[in-house]
Amino acid sequence: MSAVLQNLVNQPYKHGFVTDIESDIAPRGLSEDTIKLISAKKDEPEWLLEFRLKAYQQWLKMEEPKWPNVKYPKIDFQAISYYSAPKPKKKLSSMDEVDPELLRTFEKLGVPMHERAALAGVAVDVIFDSVSVATTYKQKLAEVGIIFCSISEAVHMHPELVKQYLGTVVPVGDNYYAALNSAVFTDGTFCFLPKGVKCPMDLSTYFRINTEESGQFERTLIIAEEGASVSYLEGCTAPKFDTNQLHAAVVELVALDNADIKYSTVQNWYAGDENGLGGIYNFVTKRGLAKGVNSRISWTQVETGSAITWKYPSCVLQGDNSVGEFYSVAVTNNYQQADTGTKMVHLGKNTRSTIVSKGISAGHSNNSYRGLVRIAPTAAGARNYSQCDSMLIGGECSANTFPYIQVRNHTAKVEHEASTSKIGEDQLFYFAQRGIGNEEAVSMIINGFCKDVFQQLPMEFAVEATKLLGFKLEGSVG
Amino acid sequence: MSLSMVTGSSYLESLLQGQPQLPSSPLAWLNQLRADAVERASTLKVPTTRDEEWRFTDISPLSNLSFQPVRAESSLSIADAEKFYLEEAAIRLVFVDGVYAPQLSGQPHGTKDVGLVVTNLSEAVAAHAAAIEPHLGRYAGFQDNVFAALNTAFLHDGALILVPRSVVVEKPVHLLFIATQKEVASHPRCLLIAESGSAVTIVEDYVSLQEDAYVTNAVTEIALADNAQVDHIRVQRDSNEAFHIANCAVSLAHASRYRSVSVALGARISRYNLNTLLAAEGAECAIDGLALITGRQLADTHTCIDHAKPHGTSTQSHKCIVDGAAHAVFNGKIVVRPDAQRTDSSQSSRNLLLNAKARVDTKPQLEIFADDVKCAHGATVGQLDNEEVFYLKSRGLSEITARNLLTYAFGAEIIDRISIASLKHRLEQTVLEQTQRN
Repeated sequence: MSAVLQNLVNQPYKHGFVTDIESDIAPRGLSEDTIKLISAKKDEPEWLLEFRLKAYQQWLKMEEPKWPNVKYPKIDFQAISYYSAPKPKKKLSSMDEVDPELLRTFEKLGVPMHERAALAGVAVDVIFDSVSVATTYKQKLAEVGIIFCSISEAVHMHPELVKQYLGTVVPVGDNYYAALNSAVFTDGTFCFLPKGVKCPMDLSTYFRINTEESGQFERTLIIAEEGASVSYLEGCTAPKFDTNQLHAAVVELVALDNADIKYSTVQNWYAGDENGLGGIYNFVTKRGLAKGVNSRISWTQVETGSAITWKYPSCVLQGDNSVGEFYSVAVTNNYQQADTGTKMVHLGKNTRSTIVSKGISAGHSNNSYRGLVRIAPTAAGARNYSQCDSMLIGGECSANTFPYIQVRNHTAKVEHEASTSKIGEDQLFYFAQRGIGNEEAVSMIINGFCKDVFQQLPMEFAVEATKLLGFKLEGSVG
Repeated sequence: MSLSMVTGSSYLESLLQGQPQLPSSPLAWLNQLRADAVERASTLKVPTTRDEEWRFTDISPLSNLSFQPVRAESSLSIADAEKFYLEEAAIRLVFVDGVYAPQLSGQPHGTKDVGLVVTNLSEAVAAHAAAIEPHLGRYAGFQDNVFAALNTAFLHDGALILVPRSVVVEKPVHLLFIATQKEVASHPRCLLIAESGSAVTIVEDYVSLQEDAYVTNAVTEIALADNAQVDHIRVQRDSNEAFHIANCAVSLAHASRYRSVSVALGARISRYNLNTLLAAEGAECAIDGLALITGRQLADTHTCIDHAKPHGTSTQSHKCIVDGAAHAVFNGKIVVRPDAQRTDSSQSSRNLLLNAKARVDTKPQLEIFADDVKCAHGATVGQLDNEEVFYLKSRGLSEITARNLLTYAFGAEIIDRISIASLKHRLEQTVLEQTQRN
């Protein structure tokens, strides 16, 4: 039986290929000059350059964090190229003008942009290596007053909004990688929903890391004004390389009174081969500020890729009655390491948060949940419920839980539970008895285990996530 | 930072004063152990909140006071001590300010017939050297624990309990530590060796006759051989100005069973580290704790249950009742090693906050390296359930009585697990008094 499970998990990475597009790459290394170069290349205003330089100065003073439960060789930040953009051709007026090579890449990934846009009604802001190449449905969104564009575009078109919110949720000196991102970020997504606007469709970005050895520093900023609501999808795949690539993104969400932001991620970057060689380092800072009363921020993530994942999508519940949610499935196999979880900081009265985290580890992998629930003295009547379950497949992996619970208000109520289990032989036997083979049984059990989280995903993502889990774990159960 | 390091190390030097005055032991290995501990202690630092293990417990108030080993003879009378005696306990060892007090200790005739040894460590080292050597200092490591190092450096007096093979000790053994003088640092040490098939109940009891500041820095080591059973009851009723730091290390052999109930009521700052190692197959441990604190008290409990071998079972229930501006800390780690298949482990941390200024930091933690295991943990923080209060009020109880009753019941669940009637009764009274004060 164990052989069957082995085969189940060990399916090779399906998206490993390199697109040959001429890239405009900055020389390796990080200095003030590099930052000035990035800023100049992107034709940025003075205040943004100052923002970057301030972040860089802070970064120089900081130390790489040692506390995560992950191991990796020291990163040489001078060996990374901090800017890479497809060479600008002429301005594009329709999809036909997009580089056919680029389009083929998306075909291979199964993301036919135009089709997706037309059939699923999704506006896809495609990020290819660091610069936005095509943005669809912008027109339609503009009609209701939604701004959905790349952040570099937003810097030029809506500087006052970017200036007002950039760095307010994740300050430049928040942590080592956030500071690095603030100094060198090249592009990302900007989304602004004016007062009272409910976004008519799910917004989505497909990230794709290309160009070997170019770090990817994405910056996402989503602002929902009073009463606005949006659901944002982020999905990633990356081609196969043997050198580790660093990805240090920053995502900031701001929800004003009665606003609602739902942020969903499917992450399937290259995780390294079965011997733990290569793979992406995914060191991400994601934080949402539920600033207004009755606002809501919801994170849903399916993390299956990356050699190392180090990510804590958090909610700062500042407005009274605001709600924070975190739903996560993290799957690790082979030599992957994941240290992921969330922070729920309750500041306002009657704030509520829910945490549902499911970790599955197989092979020699290491999967940790690390969470913080902090109830400030001001958060009267705050409520938290956390559940984190782990599943272990095979005897050489590990699952850890580090929940920090800090309560300073006696009217608050906090509950946390965690459990660990495996796929039992009796369960598989039961399926076999009903005529269901091992592979299918395992996939059904895992889907059942993750159901609470998948239910939170938008429809098309849920389908994708289920498939992804299926082939991630193929051959590992037994 | 560098300044605090300097003061930290010189503070340790001051704590180590008096160590050279200890009489040297006839045993070379014991002298060596002490020397190693002195050396280690002088290289370590007093932990600060920058250390992950001490993140929520700031022990800097300790460094503001100077503490010395006891010099003057205590003027404790038998009548003073008597009120702490347990009627069920036939065998009693009493330590006053960390020094063995033979005139207060009692041991009935006949215990020697079955070979049971309950005695002062400094007297026992010569007679029982062969039995002690494989155990003393082997479980409570001091490599990165400055307080265990300090205790080991001062290792002289202490309790030794040696339960021979297949001996079942019916009546509990009472280890009573009485603090009578201020600004004294005492380093109590206990060693319990339960040989195969034996069973014993011990009560480790820390009490005070005064309300001054002093330091208790205790280390307890418990070794259970195959099929041995140990019930370990620990009551900490130190003065509300005192500092209580304790390390307890337990090692369980094949099919042995360790049950522990620890109750923390006193001390301004208390810290209890309990490390249990399930070192062989089929071992079982049940660890329960209650902290009942108020005012500006801080009670910190760190436990680690290490499942190293298959078929181990562990259960843990830790409760804190926090009133006033008190602060409770709990960190419960459960480790399941790659070898320890079929482990069954459950843990719960429940906390009751009674006052707006009360504070709780809890961190139940699982580290699992084996797949065929059943592990669960849970934590809750909250106040009394309004519906429960309403139910009692509908039965004619006043709001205050209802709340007191529910608070009492919350704590009584742990105290109920104490097998000694008189001690149980006494603790129940304490909980009742404390809840009624409000």
